[in-house]
Amino acid sequence: MRKDRVINQNKVAKLSDITRLIKDGGRVAIGGAWLSSHPMAIIRQIIRSKIKHLSLITILGSVDIDLMIGAGCVDRLMFSFVSMEAYGLAPNFRRAIEKEGLAYDEITGLAIILGFEAAGRGVPFLPYRGPFGSDYLEQRPEFYKTINCPFTGEEMIAVPAIKPDVAIIHAQRADPAGNIQIEGTGGSDLELAKAAEKVIVTVEEIVPTEVLRENPYKTKIPRFYVDMVIEQPFGAHPTSSIPSYVGDPWHMLTYMEMAASPDTFKQYLDDYVMTSEDEYLEAVGGLEQMNLLKKLAEEVKLL
Amino acid sequence: MKEYAQDYSTAELVCVAVAREIEDGDILILGSFTPLAFVSYILAKLTHAPNVMYMAYSSVDAKPFQLSFAGYEAAATKGGVARWNMTECINSLYLGIGVDVEPVSSIQADQYGNINISVVGDYEKPVLRGPGGAGAPEVVKMHRKMIGYFPNHSKRTLVPKVDFVTGTRWKISNEARTKAGLRPGPLKYITNLAILTKDEEDKPFKIESVHPGVSIDQVIENTGFELTVPKDVPETEKPTKEQVRLLREKIDPYGIVAFDFMSGKDRPAYLKQILDREVKALAY
Repeated sequence: MRKDRVINQNKVAKLSDITRLIKDGGRVAIGGAWLSSHPMAIIRQIIRSKIKHLSLITILGSVDIDLMIGAGCVDRLMFSFVSMEAYGLAPNFRRAIEKEGLAYDEITGLAIILGFEAAGRGVPFLPYRGPFGSDYLEQRPEFYKTINCPFTGEEMIAVPAIKPDVAIIHAQRADPAGNIQIEGTGGSDLELAKAAEKVIVTVEEIVPTEVLRENPYKTKIPRFYVDMVIEQPFGAHPTSSIPSYVGDPWHMLTYMEMAASPDTFKQYLDDYVMTSEDEYLEAVGGLEQMNLLKKLAEEVKLL
Repeated sequence: MKEYAQDYSTAELVCVAVAREIEDGDILILGSFTPLAFVSYILAKLTHAPNVMYMAYSSVDAKPFQLSFAGYEAAATKGGVARWNMTECINSLYLGIGVDVEPVSSIQADQYGNINISVVGDYEKPVLRGPGGAGAPEVVKMHRKMIGYFPNHSKRTLVPKVDFVTGTRWKISNEARTKAGLRPGPLKYITNLAILTKDEEDKPFKIESVHPGVSIDQVIENTGFELTVPKDVPETEKPTKEQVRLLREKIDPYGIVAFDFMSGKDRPAYLKQILDREVKALAY
C-alpha cells in the first residue's frame, strides 16, 4: 500500500490536472461497461490535452473507446467487447482495425477481469476453467497458458496479471480523500482500481466524508486505491450514470451520424470535444437536456 | 384452453418462443441491451415462470419493468434487491453456481454449435470487425441452455463453419456434457423462420418447428449447413392472445422489440419515433 494515498486527504483536482498522471504512451484502463458509467469527461480531456500513443484496456467498451480511437490517441487496444449496442457497430473502432491495422488484443471478458484481480491480489496469474474449444486460445497464446491443478491434476487456463498505469473511472460521489460511492451499474471498476498504478475518478458530486458515513455500504472503492478525484457533473455523458441520469440516446444518434465518415467525425471533434466541458454540455442541450435525462432515470415503470 | 392470437409480428413470435425456453426457477442474465432478451424474460416472469431471478446491469433479482429505450437500465436497477458489480456476477454466477440461460445473437453460427461475434474474413485483416465476445465463451458453453436467436435466418448467418470461434457449445449431448462437468441442456437456434435444435455431436441440427406460413424448403434454402428434417415437422406454437396483450400493453408498449428485426438503415428513424413517445409519456 502506498503511504501517500493514505496521508493525502485532499485529492480534489481539476480536469486539466489529469496530464499529471496520464502520459503519452501510457497504459490506461477505462471504467464503466456497455453504455454505462464511462469516464467520458476524462476521455474528452485526454483528447483535448493531445495525449497520444495510449494503450487502452477495456472490458466492455462503447463510445468511450470509439471516441479515443477516432481522435487518434490509441496505439493498441485490449478489449473483450466494443459495441454501440442498439446503435450499431462502433464506427471508428471498425475503421481502425479493418482499414488502418490498429494493433489489438481481443481477450475474453472473464480473462481481463481475472487479470485485474490477479494484479490486485499481487499474484502473477490466476487460473480458471478457460474458453476451451474457442479460437481465443490459439489466437492469443500469450494470454492463455494451460496448466494443471497441483492438487487434482485438472487442466486449467492461467491468465496473467494485468497492470495498467492508470485507471479512469466515473462514479456517483466521493469525499475529498477519495472514498468512492457507486450506486448504479458498477462494471468491474473496483478491480480496475485495485490493479492500476494510479487511479483517477470523476464523480457527480464531492461531499464531506460525514455524508459518506451515512451510507457506508455504498462506498465501493476506499481512498487507499485513489489518487485524484474530480467533481464533474454529467461526467459520464453521453453514457449513463444510474441512478442520476440515463444515457443520452439523442446524442448517441448524433455521434453515430457524425462518426460514419472520417470527415464528419473531424467535425464532431471540433464541435463537441475540442471545446471545454462546460461548452460540451451546452452543445448537447444544456440544462434542459440534463434535466430530461434525470427525469428519464427517475420515472421508470415497474410491473 | 389456450386462445391463440391471429395478429402478431415475427418479432413477437420469436420473443414468445424464447420466453418458452425459460422455466420457472431459472437464473437468467441480461447482458448488453438486447430488447428481445429483456422482453422475453419479463414475459416469462409475468406468465409461466414467476420465480425466475435475473441479473441486469448491477441489479440482482430485478423486478419486471416496462421496457423503455431511454430508461431500461434505470428501471432494471430501481427494481433490484441487491447490487452486484460485474466481477461479483461473473465469479458467482458464470463460474460458481451457474446460469440457466442468456440468449445470444451473433454474426455467424454454424453446424457445430459455434458462434462468431469477432471477425468475418481473415482475423488480422477482417472484412468486418465485430464487437467481440464479452462473456460469450462462457455463455455458450457453461450456461445450462444455449439459446441463439437470429432475426435474419440466412446463409450469411447460419454458415457451415464460423470464421472465428468466439464461443462454442463444446460438449453437446447430455452424456458428453455431464462427463465434462457441464450441466446438460438444449442447444437451439431460434430464427425468424424456424427453431433448429442439436442433440448429438455427430448429428446435424434438426428442424424442431417451422413458423406459421414458412415452408420447410424455405428453411433449408436459407441455411448454410445440412439439416435433419423429421417426418412430421410441427408448426411453431403461435403466441397466445394473452401473451400478445401483455407484450403490447404492459411490457413493450413502444414496440422496441421490433428493433432487433430491422435493418441498420431503418433503425435511427424508428428510434427517434420511440423516443418522442417516451418523452411525451413523462409526467411534466
